[in-house]
Amino acid sequence: MNIFLNILLYVVLAPLAGGLLSGLDRKITARMQSRIGPPILQPFFDVLKLIQKESLVVRRSQNFYIGFFLILVIFTGALFFTGKDILLVIFAFTLAGIFFVLAGFKASSPYSFIGAQRELLQMMAYEPIIILSAVAMYMVTRSFYISDIVSFSRPLIYYLPGVLFGLLYILAMKFRKSPFDLSTSHHAHQELVKGITTEFSGRSLAMIEVAHWYENMLVLGFIYLFFARSPLAGVVLSLLAYFLVILIDNTFARVKWQLALLSSWLMTLIFGFGNILILFILPK
Amino acid sequence: MSYLKRSPWVIHYDASSCNGCDIEVLACLTPVYDLERFGIINTGNPKHADIFLVTGSVNEQNKEVIQNIYNQMPEPKVVLALGICATSGGVFRECYNVSGGVDKIIPVDVYVPGCAVRPEAIIDGVIRGLKILEEKHKKFQAISGGKGELTIAQAGIQDAGDILELQKLAYQSEAELYNDFSLSPLTQTLEQLEDDFKNKFFLKSVMHDKIIGSVRAFMEGDTCHIGRLIVHPSYQNYGLGRKLMREIEAYFPQAGRFEVFTGHKSRRNIYFHQRLGYKIFKRERVSELRDRVFMEKFANKDRK
Repeated sequence: MNIFLNILLYVVLAPLAGGLLSGLDRKITARMQSRIGPPILQPFFDVLKLIQKESLVVRRSQNFYIGFFLILVIFTGALFFTGKDILLVIFAFTLAGIFFVLAGFKASSPYSFIGAQRELLQMMAYEPIIILSAVAMYMVTRSFYISDIVSFSRPLIYYLPGVLFGLLYILAMKFRKSPFDLSTSHHAHQELVKGITTEFSGRSLAMIEVAHWYENMLVLGFIYLFFARSPLAGVVLSLLAYFLVILIDNTFARVKWQLALLSSWLMTLIFGFGNILILFILPK
Repeated sequence: MSYLKRSPWVIHYDASSCNGCDIEVLACLTPVYDLERFGIINTGNPKHADIFLVTGSVNEQNKEVIQNIYNQMPEPKVVLALGICATSGGVFRECYNVSGGVDKIIPVDVYVPGCAVRPEAIIDGVIRGLKILEEKHKKFQAISGGKGELTIAQAGIQDAGDILELQKLAYQSEAELYNDFSLSPLTQTLEQLEDDFKNKFFLKSVMHDKIIGSVRAFMEGDTCHIGRLIVHPSYQNYGLGRKLMREIEAYFPQAGRFEVFTGHKSRRNIYFHQRLGYKIFKRERVSELRDRVFMEKFANKDRK
């Protein structure tokens, strides 16, 4: 029964925490730009408002894909936070992303097309380091189970600083932040209208927003794994990583997709693969 | 409780003129005025927006753009005309290419004059717009939720006058579409309509003791002919038409087939009926200006 309780807790608490973090993000961003900024609860107001709006669709099936996106993100998170196989988590997470891309393609407008294509490019950019990090964690802990990885005797950061750096580099993509907010963005970049989310309104946009909160919690969970030996430090450091993303978001402009792809692959190769190579060569 | 007030997202369109008001709108987003304090975001996407800010007078080239942006915004929505040009055409109103204020094209809810309009005035206008947004939301809920206020019932001959008046109002947009003001719904007299009550079945939808929609139908053999679906222009897009169609179909359980017709240019009507399961089966020329498109639906198909 314990596992069901955990899942229930996760399903309820993750969006609450994700929404609060997103509100905090908007407040911090505003302070960095010397504005006052919206209330911390603003993301919740936004989602509740979207539920009250009319839902316009190009094709009805587009909302079906968004439904799957949300369900799969929740499923992935449930696997992750109950300590299941990290490979399964990664594949389910990718599948969720694919459904989101399909929804963008299904909506068939030039803006959502470009957004969906860019989302695919981003997936190509960030998938290698995520898979490498699972491999690296296995090399250190000899297990793919998150429950084993968490209870390993030393913090993984001692063995895998390079992998963590590689992950931090692609973090902006998962959070949809500058310099890698190519497919869609919360800010006023308007040359793509809203990229992949252009054709979604009302309830389906609210679902995308909630799925994004779940996603954010999952990604922060990934960072937490590196410091899991001491939970408090883990939480603080993953929040610090979030702050770093916000800082970078406010410092850099958006880059072209070529640079995003090339640089993240280079980072993966040098820091991720390099780290694994060193682990392999060095005696235990 | 409604959250529309807490998170109004705006889209901004600069129609023409000097760009002064345009710059003032953007100034509202800067640290000095910081519109985001109120949860206001400049979305740049009509499908995400609640409030449409238009600056500048409307000219011949951007009429369609404004109309298009307006149509793409989900209900409930509010339009603000910012600056004197958007309000009335301003100093440009007599130019050969200028049609005038924004209200020539789309319904405007709040007028904020000024040349250029001050950011404080814009913020005040948006806050006023929020109240209207709230009212519209209530109206939307009342109709789509059908809570108490809205009733659909059979209409009697005593309603003929009200229905005729509504019919003439509702068919204006069709007449403009074909540039033909001799459409039969517009020329029908009260006597003719009262005659209709003898052989046709009428439904009315009433809100606050006022008829805001109606539809009529009659049987011919196995076929139920449904016609003259009308909804008051300010109550359109709330799903009322769909409700009336469902209701009248239910009144004719014996019908094997339902038939409707509309004009060939009335894409919205065709789309509306397609969503309800109707398919086009015939097209007939009525006049130089207009073809009639006939659509049908078989009853047994959707009885599950």
